[in-house]
Amino acid sequence: MILLKLAWRNIFRNRRRTLLSGIAIGIGLASLIFTDALMIGMIESMIRSATGTFLGQAQIHAEGFRETFEVENTIHDLENVIRQLNSDTAVKHYAVRAQAFGMMNSPANVSSVIFYGIDPHREKHVSKIDEAIQKGSYLAEETTRHLLIGTGLAETMEVDIDDRVVITTAQVNTGQLSQEMFRIGGIFHLNIKEMDNGVVFMHLGKARSIIGLGNNAHEISVTFHDAGQAGNQTLPFWDRYSQEENEALGWRDLLKELDAVLDLSGFTKYIIALIMFGIVALIILNTLFTSLYERLFEFGVLRAIGTRPSRMASIVLLEALSLAAVSGLFGICIGLIVTYIFSIYGIDYRGIEFAEVTFRELIYPVMTINQYIEYPLWIMLFALVAGLYPALFAARLVPARVLRRSM
Amino acid sequence: MQNKNPKLIEAIDVSKQYRSGEITVDALNSVSLIIKRGEFTAIAGPSGSGKTTLLYMISGLDIPTSGTVVLDGKPASTMSSRELSDFRRDHIGFIFQSYNLIPVLTVRENIEYIMLLQGVTERERRVRVSEILEEVSLGGMENRLPTQLSGGQQQRVAVARAMVSKPDIILADEPTANLDSHTGESLIEMMRQLNERRGMTFVFSTHETMIMERAKRLVLLKDGRIEKDEKRQ
Repeated sequence: MILLKLAWRNIFRNRRRTLLSGIAIGIGLASLIFTDALMIGMIESMIRSATGTFLGQAQIHAEGFRETFEVENTIHDLENVIRQLNSDTAVKHYAVRAQAFGMMNSPANVSSVIFYGIDPHREKHVSKIDEAIQKGSYLAEETTRHLLIGTGLAETMEVDIDDRVVITTAQVNTGQLSQEMFRIGGIFHLNIKEMDNGVVFMHLGKARSIIGLGNNAHEISVTFHDAGQAGNQTLPFWDRYSQEENEALGWRDLLKELDAVLDLSGFTKYIIALIMFGIVALIILNTLFTSLYERLFEFGVLRAIGTRPSRMASIVLLEALSLAAVSGLFGICIGLIVTYIFSIYGIDYRGIEFAEVTFRELIYPVMTINQYIEYPLWIMLFALVAGLYPALFAARLVPARVLRRSM
Repeated sequence: MQNKNPKLIEAIDVSKQYRSGEITVDALNSVSLIIKRGEFTAIAGPSGSGKTTLLYMISGLDIPTSGTVVLDGKPASTMSSRELSDFRRDHIGFIFQSYNLIPVLTVRENIEYIMLLQGVTERERRVRVSEILEEVSLGGMENRLPTQLSGGQQQRVAVARAMVSKPDIILADEPTANLDSHTGESLIEMMRQLNERRGMTFVFSTHETMIMERAKRLVLLKDGRIEKDEKRQ
């Protein structure tokens, strides 16, 4: 106890030095806490943006469809799959889609497009197409000849609301061309270049009709009651719907780039933490040695009056821990305040595209209890490691040599 | 030292050389000395005569270049760093020239420090600190920090710190050097009374004639050698 008291009071002997070291370490810790919170917020936002815009948290296709996009390769036993989805307690919403490549003609231009046949009502619950309408309106039950196109495509085709366009595509099995005239019902802006420039949405029934799909479909987009389930590899969902030549994939499999970015972000976080902890260790090492050299004679006295070498080392280590504790407390407070403020007001990265995902909402740093336990504990650990060398130095001091300096 | 060996410390043909750059300095040269229980010994000599070095040798703070120092019948050279620390903690009290109290600890904590290392109970510590402070006339000052005391008072605390663990011997390196003559004289008088009343063994270095005269044994050092070793009354 006396050693702790000694160490604690010693760190306040040179208040300016302790203050500067404490601020440096504290700011380091606070920035680490904030970075972690920001990364969690950013990742959550990216996942929400990626899955909420159109993808969904999971998708069901026929095996191999995603590799070739062959229109013949439709979901097997669709009725049974839908029946299961309707009774699946984990599933919150789902939307059936048909999709094909086609050509769009307007009086001014022609462009290749991917057109999706969607169920307007169900689609509202799994994607944000309805919210992205900038002109005109979303698909309604009675407007079966309406199309939704992106802002980029509208510009290319030089069309506006109510203008007429023709979609041409090859039919399933026969390969015969099929054409259908539509009116532009709405123009959307999803802030995703590929979708805004080359994707068209129409009623599912209409798409089925021009592709000649019958009652088949190519894709079912799914959302779960618990969004976190989409990343759970052990969820029975994946096995249940990956049968009869169908496959069910989560967003991690559907967006490999994003998955890689997330893995990388975890790694980056550790690199940042390591650099930060290294700096903290150097600050502590410097502070301890400066303090130790200033008090060499005092250490000599402590040795002379019977303090064992191990206890001398303990004093230095306790000083390192005390400094880390004070700095850690300061860092926690600053980190908490800064992160809290930004978690309320958010950070605006909207419109910025990263890893093929465009941020569509403000990023709110996410505070977790771990940030306030794990990082300060790491600081303590690094302080302890940084204190080892000065502690060893103090333990090995030859009392006569240091005492001779001023006796 | 529980066996009450009359020879507390013995230095046998001890020499110590220091290297100062290219030059080798003979700080001590074949010094032999026996310190017995109950002595009140002054090690005197001019500056650079080897007084401090001899004190370091006989306390196990330094290792001789040649010769042997025997502490409690055991050669210091055979003791580990930890054993030497424990020996000093339990058997030797130190008084330094510049008081050298721990500035961040109060008077009570400075005095208690060694007892804490020894594992003395809190109750016992309180009693002993109060007693020793009365003895050195510092009663009521236990909660002051060293910086709040005069030089003389700090040196009294240093004496109290050295005595409180009831060591077999107190080694003092020029304890009056930083005190005015009156304070220095009263400190030596206090040490002498402790020697007479309690039979506590004192060895102190000095170059002041007035202080030498109060010693019961005078060891005179010159150029690292004992020039004179005489008993006095």
